[in-house]
Amino acid sequence: MKHKLLTAIVLGFFAFTANAQTADEIIANYFENTGGLEKWKTIEGMKMSAKLNQGGMEIPLEIIQLKDGRQATIINLQGRVIKQGVFDGTDLWSDNFMTQKAEKSDAETTENFKLSIGDFPDVFLNYKAKGYTVELAGKETIEGTETFKVKLTKKQIKVDGQLTDDVSFYYFDTENFVPLVVEAEVKSGPAKGQVSQIKFSDYQEVSNGVLMAFSLAQGVKGGPSQPIAVTAIEVNPAVDAATFKYPEGQ
Amino acid sequence: MKKIYLPFLVFLVSSTAFAQDAVTKGKELFGDMRARHIGPALMSGRISDLELHPTNDRVVYVGAAGGGVWKSTNGGATFNPIFDEYCQSIGAVEVDPSNPDNIVWVGTGETWTRNSVTVGDGLYKTIDGGSNWQKMGFEKSERIAGIQVNPQNSNEVYVAVMGALWSDSEERGLYKTTDGGKTWNKILYVDKTTGCSDLLLDPKNPNIIYASFWEFRRSPWSFNSGGLSSALYKSIDGGVTWNKIHNGFPKGKLGRIAVAVAPSNSNILYAVIESEQDKDKGLYRSDDAGATWKQTNGDFGLVVRPFYFSRITIDPRNPEVVVKAGLYGSISRDGGKTFKNLGPMHADIHDIVFDINNSDRMYVGTDGGVYRSWDGGTTMEIIENLPLSQFYQISVDNEEPYNVYGGLQDNGSWYGPSSSPGGVEARDWHVVGVGDGYRVLPHPTKKILYSEMQGAENVWRYDRTKEQVKTIQPLAMKGDPKLRFNWNSPMATSAFKEDRFYMGSQFVHRSEDMGETWVKISPDLTTNDPLKTEQGKSGGLSRDNSGAENHCTIFTIAESPLDENIVWAGTDDGNVQVTKDGGKTWTNVVANIAGLPKNTSCWHIEASKFGKGTAYAVFTGYQQGDQKPYTYKTTDFGATWKSVISNDVVGFVRNIQEDYVNENLLFLGTEFGLYITIDGGTSWLKFTNNMPAVAVHFIDLQKRTNDLVMGTHGRGVIIIDDISPLRELTTENLAKEFHFFPIKPATMDESNGFGGTASETQFVGANASTNAKITYYLKKRHTLGKMTAELQDMSGNKIADLDAGKSKGINVIEWGFTTKAPKIATGKTFAFGGFTSPRVPAGTYKVVIQKGKETFTNELVVQYDPKSTIAIADRKENEVVTRKLFDMTQELAYMVYEIDETIKAAEEQKAKSPAASKAVTPLLTELNKLKETLVITTGDNYVGAGEPQLREDLSELYSKVASTFFKPSNAELDNMAAITERMQTAKTTFKKVKEKHTPKLNEVMSKNNMQPIILKSFDEFVKTN
Repeated sequence: MKHKLLTAIVLGFFAFTANAQTADEIIANYFENTGGLEKWKTIEGMKMSAKLNQGGMEIPLEIIQLKDGRQATIINLQGRVIKQGVFDGTDLWSDNFMTQKAEKSDAETTENFKLSIGDFPDVFLNYKAKGYTVELAGKETIEGTETFKVKLTKKQIKVDGQLTDDVSFYYFDTENFVPLVVEAEVKSGPAKGQVSQIKFSDYQEVSNGVLMAFSLAQGVKGGPSQPIAVTAIEVNPAVDAATFKYPEGQ
Repeated sequence: MKKIYLPFLVFLVSSTAFAQDAVTKGKELFGDMRARHIGPALMSGRISDLELHPTNDRVVYVGAAGGGVWKSTNGGATFNPIFDEYCQSIGAVEVDPSNPDNIVWVGTGETWTRNSVTVGDGLYKTIDGGSNWQKMGFEKSERIAGIQVNPQNSNEVYVAVMGALWSDSEERGLYKTTDGGKTWNKILYVDKTTGCSDLLLDPKNPNIIYASFWEFRRSPWSFNSGGLSSALYKSIDGGVTWNKIHNGFPKGKLGRIAVAVAPSNSNILYAVIESEQDKDKGLYRSDDAGATWKQTNGDFGLVVRPFYFSRITIDPRNPEVVVKAGLYGSISRDGGKTFKNLGPMHADIHDIVFDINNSDRMYVGTDGGVYRSWDGGTTMEIIENLPLSQFYQISVDNEEPYNVYGGLQDNGSWYGPSSSPGGVEARDWHVVGVGDGYRVLPHPTKKILYSEMQGAENVWRYDRTKEQVKTIQPLAMKGDPKLRFNWNSPMATSAFKEDRFYMGSQFVHRSEDMGETWVKISPDLTTNDPLKTEQGKSGGLSRDNSGAENHCTIFTIAESPLDENIVWAGTDDGNVQVTKDGGKTWTNVVANIAGLPKNTSCWHIEASKFGKGTAYAVFTGYQQGDQKPYTYKTTDFGATWKSVISNDVVGFVRNIQEDYVNENLLFLGTEFGLYITIDGGTSWLKFTNNMPAVAVHFIDLQKRTNDLVMGTHGRGVIIIDDISPLRELTTENLAKEFHFFPIKPATMDESNGFGGTASETQFVGANASTNAKITYYLKKRHTLGKMTAELQDMSGNKIADLDAGKSKGINVIEWGFTTKAPKIATGKTFAFGGFTSPRVPAGTYKVVIQKGKETFTNELVVQYDPKSTIAIADRKENEVVTRKLFDMTQELAYMVYEIDETIKAAEEQKAKSPAASKAVTPLLTELNKLKETLVITTGDNYVGAGEPQLREDLSELYSKVASTFFKPSNAELDNMAAITERMQTAKTTFKKVKEKHTPKLNEVMSKNNMQPIILKSFDEFVKTN
C-alpha cells in the first residue's frame, strides 16, 4: 500500500507541475492507486455490511450489488427485514414500511436506474464504452483538501417527463487520487434544486486488494450529513437470486 | 530519473501550495464550522432582474439586489441559490436562448442606483446550468445593466456596462464578444460619465440592436440623473455602426431611458424617457422600429424616479399590452395610451416578466421580493422562500434563545428568535418599525427596544410586553441649527447606565431616561461643509429629495465597554472623534491615520474591551470611487493607528467585531463576505462554509453562546454558532496532527414541543443545534485507513458510536445525549416505541477517537438544564424507571428469541415424521399461544395493525417515560406495575411450557442425531443486530 501511494504522490506532483493532468489521467491514477484496473475488473459482485446511526438507533444495512445491475439494500429493523432499492433485472422495487409489502418504483425512476446498470463496481470503469464523458473542471479545496474536480456526464435521464442531463462532480484528492466527495444536483423530491453531497473516507483494502471507502456521509451541501459506517465488504459473494426477485402475488 | 527530479518538483509544488488565497486558507481551516441562515424571508428583499427560460416554463431565475442569483425549476414555487460564491449584487441575468439549460450569464452590480446600492465585480458565465461559474472580465464595471446573446450563435454576446456610479470610468458602454466571452470589443462608448443602461436585440433579427445610454453620477451628498450625453442608439449591422433614434424625443438633456421591442412585432417599440420638461417625460411609442416616436403617456407611474424604475416589458403575444416598473407598477392594454396600477404588492417594482406560454402568469420583482400573478397582474402572491432581506444593522439580546434585531431596506424593522421550535419561521418575526429600518437596539435589561426609520424621521421606543410605541427622537431646541441625521442614523446604548441612549445627528445626543430628555454632549463633529449639505437640489432631471443624501452627519457612536466617559463618534465625511470626559471635550483623531484618503466615511467604530484607549475604525470609500479596504486599530485613543488589513481581504469593509476573549481573533464584514483573523489582522481567512459572498453590514457576538451573528444586506441574518474553538487556534495547536478543543459542559435541552407550522414552500431558518459538540482539529484530512469515534463511560464501556468528521481543519461531532436503543422482540410489525434511545444521565463521559493506531481522548461533562424546574430526584426516578422498562424490553426480546428458535427447531422436527410431529405439536401449540400474547403476529404497520400485545404496550410505556425528564406519572407507574405482572406471568408460563414439553423435543432431536438447540447468551443476543 505505502509503496503504491508514494508512487501516486510522485505521479501527482509530476502531473501537477507539468500542468497537464487530464480527467483521463486522474481516473487512471485513481484505479492504479486503488489496486489496479485488473483487480477492479475481477469484481463481479459485492456485499457491503454497514451501520447507520440515527440518534442512538443503530440501523444495520446490507448492500448487495452485482455486475449485471441487480442490487438490494437490506435493512434489519427490530428483527424485520425491509428491502429498499432492489433491482431484479426488470423491476426496481422497495418494501413499503407501512404494509411491509414490495412496491415497484415509478416507471421513470426505473428507466433512469436502468441507464446506470453498468456503473458497478465503479462508475468510471470503462466510462467511455458506457457513453459517459468526463472533463476536468479545475481544482477545488473541499474537506480542507486540494482536489481535482471531475465532471461526469452520463446518459440523459428523465425528470418529471423531461429529458435532463445527468451530471455529477467527483472531487479526487490531488495527493492520492481517491474521490473525497461527489456532488450532484437533486432533480426531484423535497430537496430538488439543492446539491447532494457524499463524502468518502476510511479507504481500506478489501479481499481482492482493491481500496474502497469504508465511511460515507451523505447529505445536502451546506447542511448536515448522515454517515454510514461500513463494517465489511465482501467481494464476489455468493448471493441467492431470490434476494432480488420482485415478489409477485405477495 | 524521476527520483532525481523529485525534490525539485516538490519544491515547485510547495511554493505553489503556499501561494494560497484567503478562500482556500479558510476552507483548509474552518472544516465543519458552518453558518446557518435564519432569514427572514417573509418580507424578502429587493429584486433587480428576472429571467425566464425560453422553452421551459418551470424555470425562473431571480437576480437579487444584494442576495445573488436564485433558480426555480417549479414555476417559482421554490428557489435555490446558485451563485453563492460570487458577488451577490446582481445587475442582469441572461439565459442563452440557443443553449438555455446550460449557458447562463450573470452581470453583477445592481443598476437601480439608490443611495444604498452597492457594486458588482464583473461578468460571469456558466456552461453547466449554474454548477460552476467563470469570471468573464469587467472587474471594474461596478454594474452591468444588460446582457444579450445572439439566439443563433452562443458565442456572440453583447454586454451593457453601466459602470461606476460615484466616479469617472472608462469601463462603460456596450461590449461585444464573438468568441463566447474570451475577448471583448467595446463597440459603443460615449464618455467617462455615461454608461449603457438598457440593451435589446430585435427578436427577429439579432443584427438589430437597441442600446440606451445614461449620464449619471452619485456622490455621498447628491445625485444627478441626466445630461446631453444620454441617448438611445440603434445599430442594424451587429454593432458596427450606430445612430441615435431620437425623432420625436424631447429636446435638451435626457435622463435614464428604458426601451422595449415587442416580441410579436419588431416594428413596435416603447421607450420611457426622463427629460428636462415634466410635460415631455413618460412613455413614447414607435411603430416603425424607432424611426419616429410619439409620446403616449406621462402619468406618475411612468415618470416616477427613473433612476430606480426603468424597465418596460411587453406581452410576448400582444404588443398592445405593456407594463412599466415603478412605485406600484403600471399596465396598459391599449398600446401605452392609458395605464392602471398592478395589483397590491410590495411597492417599488423593478422588473416584470410574462410567462413564456401564458400571459396571465407574470412574475414581478420588487423591493420586497418576487410576486407571481395568475390573472394578468391583478392579484399578486408573494413567493415565500426567498430570504433576501437586506439588513443595515443587527443587534442581539441575552434571552434564551437570544433574539436578533435589525432594520431592512424598505422593509421596516424586526426582531426574531435565533432558534424556534421547528425552525425560525415567518411567524416568529415581529415588526417593530416601518419605512426603511436601520438600527434596532434592545434595552440592556428591560423588554424594551429602540428602532428608527430613515433619517431618524421617527425613533421609536417600543415596549415589547405592552406593545406600546413612543417616538423619542432628539429634536432641535432653541438656538439649534437644523439637525442633520444620516439616512441610517447611529444609535447606541451603554454598558454602564441601562437607560442611557445615544443618537447622532451632526451632534452626539445623550439621554439618561430612554429618550425622554436629550442633551447634546458634543459640538458639530462633522466637517459641516456647506457644499455637501444641499440635498434639496439632488436628483438631476428628476428632483429626488428623499433625505437619502443627507451628509456631514455622524454615522457611528460607540461608548467604551471599560469606561462610560470614553465615547467614540465616526462621521460620514471622514472624522473620527473621541471624548474621554463624557463629552466635555472632543478630539478629532482621523488625521493620525496614515494612508487613509481624506473624507473617507467612517462606517463603524468598535470600542475594544481590551484597553480603554483601544478601538477599531472601519472606513468605506466606495462612495468616492475607492473600493479599498480600510480598517485601523488604535491602542492610545487615536494618537496612533495601525492598519489591520492584509492583502487577503478583497472588497471594502463595512464592519469589524472583536472577540471578547482573544484579542487577536477578529471578524471582518466586507462587501463580499466574512473574513476572520486569528492573528490580530496580520492575515485574514475567508469563511465560506454555507456563507455566501454577501455584503456583511453588521456583526455582533452573542456573549453567552459565542455565536457570531451577521446582518447581511441581501441574505438576512446569518449565524455561525459558537466560535470559541477559533480562540484556541494558536500556532502550537495548529502544528499538531490532532488537537482536541476543550469540550464545554453540554446541557441537555428539555424542550420537546410540536414544532413549527410552515408550509412546504415557505423558508424556514435553521435552528442552533442543541446537541453536545465535540470539536477537534485535524492537520490533514483523514482519508486512508480507519478512523472512528465513540463515547464511553468513565470505566471504558461504550455508550454510543459517534460520527467522526474527517475534514482537514476544525471538525465538530454532534451527539444528542442518547445511547443505544433497546433490542426489541421480533414481531410481525414494528413496535414504534422501541425506536426510542434512552438518554444518558448527567455525568462525565469519555470521548475516544481512534485514528489508525493512535487514540485521542477527552472528557465530556453532560449536565441537566440548571434552569429547569424538574427536581433531581424526579429525574433520577425517570432514569430508574426508564432503565427498568429498557431492561424488561430486552428481557422480553430474549424470551421471544428463545421461543422463535424453539419453534423453528420443533417445526423442523415436525416435518420429519408423524411420530416426531406428534411429539412436538403440544410444544408448538403452547409456544405459539404464548407468543401471540407477547408480540403482534399479524397485520401491518399502519391501520391494518393487529391488537397491541405485551411488547407493544411495554415499548409504548418505555418510550413515553424515556422521552421526557419528568418523574413518571402515577398512571405510568400503575401501567408499569400491570405490564410487569404480565411479563412475570409470561415468564412463568414459558418456564412451565419449557419444563413440560422441551424434553420431548430434545428427545426427538437426539433420535435424529441432532444436538439440542444452542442459544446465544443474553449478552450476545442484545449486541447482535
